Parts: sequence; structure tokens; C-alpha cells
Amino acid sequence: MVLKVYADRMSQPSRAVIIFCKMNGIDYEEIKVHISKGQHLTSEFAEINPMKQLPAIVDGRFKLFESHAILIYLACAFPGVADHWYPADVSRRSRIHSVLDWHHSNLRRGAAPYVFNTTIAPVLGRPLNPQAAAEAETILTSSLSKLESIWLKGNGRFLLGGNQPSIADLSLVCEIMQLEVLDEKDRARLLDPHKKVQQWIENTRNATSPHFDEVHKVLMKAKEQLQYQRLKAAKKPLPSRI
Amino acid sequence: MKLKIYADRMSQPARAVLIFCKVNGINYEEVRLDIAKRQHLTPEYAEINPMKQLPAIVDGRFKLFESHAILIYLVCSFPGVADHWYPADVFERSKIHSVLDWHHSNLRPGPVTIVRNTVLAPALGQPFNPEAAAKGEKFLSASLSKIETVWLKDNGRFLLGRNQPSIADLSLVCDIMQLELLEDSDRDRLLGPYEKVQQWIENTRNATNPHFDEVHKILLKAKAKAKRQNQQLKGENHGGGGSDMKKPLLSRI
Repeated sequence: MVLKVYADRMSQPSRAVIIFCKMNGIDYEEIKVHISKGQHLTSEFAEINPMKQLPAIVDGRFKLFESHAILIYLACAFPGVADHWYPADVSRRSRIHSVLDWHHSNLRRGAAPYVFNTTIAPVLGRPLNPQAAAEAETILTSSLSKLESIWLKGNGRFLLGGNQPSIADLSLVCEIMQLEVLDEKDRARLLDPHKKVQQWIENTRNATSPHFDEVHKVLMKAKEQLQYQRLKAAKKPLPSRI
Repeated sequence: MKLKIYADRMSQPARAVLIFCKVNGINYEEVRLDIAKRQHLTPEYAEINPMKQLPAIVDGRFKLFESHAILIYLVCSFPGVADHWYPADVFERSKIHSVLDWHHSNLRPGPVTIVRNTVLAPALGQPFNPEAAAKGEKFLSASLSKIETVWLKDNGRFLLGRNQPSIADLSLVCDIMQLELLEDSDRDRLLGPYEKVQQWIENTRNATNPHFDEVHKILLKAKAKAKRQNQQLKGENHGGGGSDMKKPLLSRI
């Protein structure tokens, strides 16, 4: 039975898992679960992932969720995944774990609530929350600085000075790609100061091309729609915007 | 050169790493840093961990931070750690990764937020923030309920229906132990509804004793100190006569 990946390509960890499979020639069936339609909250999906989050996989009788755990599982359970994705060497592997752990409580905790509370909430029928957005921006800005000065220290093209991407590069870059849906001014304000981060995103994109762009198409479509809405709102006469 | 562990026992992930070493007979030197004295923010410590957080380790020339990563590293590079802590089997191991990842974005923020905005606020030079604490409580309850119904669903004594502890049990239990700093009534209100969680904490404690109790002793002292400080702050207003319906774990340590 082919590996099943339950995913919504609007979800950044889902994209990381799908790109990883495509890059490594892992045969899978993508089962689309639309978060905006609440499809991850059904009792059927709770049978797959009782936490009702995406992504999740089913491989034969084995079920797993949490994207980092899934990426590690795929690297270990499928033959032919190149070592650089998740090195066998204990020290190198440990440093990748360290980045992945850091991702959870820093970059992810900044980027996800920032995008949600400035942009995505209304799409899911929830109100925007400027205070939560401001708190998230503090965490996000600090995380991007740390990426620039610590994880991308040295001259490697990837995190930890690597010359080839690991699952950490893929996971963190997919997270930052979520910023694409923001108002262009906000996105520039957040990313412009971090030149190495921008270069690294490009390196990761190139290293996983053409799959990277293909899997991010959904996000880019959402970006266009949101930009169009902003433009429409901006064209209204001034008094109606006050 | 001996493994160095940079730790403050007031920090829950630092305790998990120390208990793990003690239980597994890993020889180490504990380098104590006091977070309340901001000793983790010095340039010297930034050389060890540029993120300026605890715990961190130095093993020869190798430096590492993030407690889950450290626990996995210790299992893999020190001989003699029993397989149940971090099984070699890829399926079992993956499930443990799943719990550890879940820990970061679910259980972890709850206890930290509650404790920081209530009992530990004065020690950290911050105001009490009941609103933030309430948010933390909501978060915590959601996480405890998931542990009770999902991770402890089966009948094993530990997470994922296992009969021996893994690094995930140790890591998560050390986090929940932070609640011992709260007033007994608050702690009981938060943990009371979760019978399986309480039994699992006790199982993990028993499986790692006497080290578990020894490493948690600092919480006893901190609790007494915080109580004194906070009562002064509240103008000695507190009656403090709450009956001990359920004996808190700390009084048994």
C-alpha cells in the first residue's frame, strides 16, 4: 500500500513533507484536507490524527503526525534518501535536531500567529487580532535575526554551514514562505534586513526545484487573491477607509 | 574531558537532562547558572549557547543546546543507555519524536506562562499578570486533556502505552512538575481532573527515583520563598489556611 500523506498545501509543514517526498522519489498519495473548510476537524480525520492537525501520514498500519517526526521517519524508513537530509553522523544529526527544536518555540511561534492575526484569520472566519500580531512580530523578528546571525553563521549555503540542504532547511524555509501572503510592505519590513536569510531561502528553493515552486503554487494563488482584495480596498474613496 | 551540563534546576528541561544522566550513570559536571541572576545572559555563556537558554552541554569540542536534542544525543553517544529511553526501532522512535514535537507547541507554553505570571513574577522582576496566567491555564488544560485521552489512551504505565519510560516521559513530566510552585489549591484545580496524568507523573517519578526527587528539591525551596515574597507583596492579606485535601507531591519529596 502506498504511503498516504494527509495535507493542505496552505499549511507550511504539509508543504515541507510533500516537497521532501517529491525530491526523494518517495511514492505517495496526497489526500487533500482543506483547513478552510474545517475538514481536519472531522471524526474521520481524528482517526488518522487525534490532534486534528496537518500533516499526518499513514504508511501501512503505521500512523504518524508532527511534520518533523514525519520527515525523520521518511528519511529513515525509505531507501535512497541522501544522507545530507538527515545525516547518520551523531553530531551532525544532533545539530539538526537542535535547529528543529528551536524552530518550534521560536520561528514557528512568531511566523504562524503573525500571518494568522494580520492576514489569514478573516479567511477562516475569525477576527484579526492586532495585539497578538504585535506580540508575534517581536518573536518573529528576533527569530529571523537569530537565523541570520547564528544558524546561517559562516559561509555555507544552508543552515549549520552545510553545503547541501537538510530537513531543517526545508522545514524552516516552508515556514518563512508563509510570509508571502502578507501585505508587501510588511513582508519587506520583516525580511529586508536579513540578507543571508533571503539568500538561503533562494538556495533551498533552487535545491528543491521544480517541486518547491509547484508545491507553493497554492500559496502564491492565495497571495494574489489577498493582494487583489487589498488593492480593491485601497481604491475606495478615502472617507470609507477611515 | 568530562561532559559539562549547563543548567539551572529551576528550569524544567535542565532537570530532565540532569535526571537522565543520573539514571543512566552518565558521568558529568553540572555547571550551575542562575536564571534569576541573569547568568545565562553573559557573553561567556553565549559562547556555549548563542541562544542564551538552558540547558546546554559541552562534550569535548561538541556543543549542543535544546533539551530534546541533548537527550537524544546522550542516548546515542553514551554506551549503556537502555533501549526503552529512545528505541532503535524506527516506528517506536518516530512515535517518540511525535510526542516531543507536540510537547513544544502544546504542553510547553502552559506551565511556563502560568508560573512566570503568578508565583515567579516577583523573582523575575515582573508584575503579576492574571490575564496572561489565565491564558496559560486554558492552554495547559487543553494539553493535559490531550495527554490524558491521546498519549495515555492505552493501558501502559507510560506515554504511548509503553511499560518503561522514554525521554518523552521525562521531558513532559519535568514540565508539569513546574506546577508544584503554585499554591496547592491552584495546582490541584489544574491537575485534579486528570487522573491518568497524575498516575503517570507518579510512575515516572518512581521509575527515576531517587534522582527525580533530588533534582526537584529546588522547587520546594523556591515555592517557600515565593510564598513569603508574595505574601509580603499582598500585604500579608493571605489567610493561608487552606486544608490539605490532597497531599501535594512536593511535601512527599
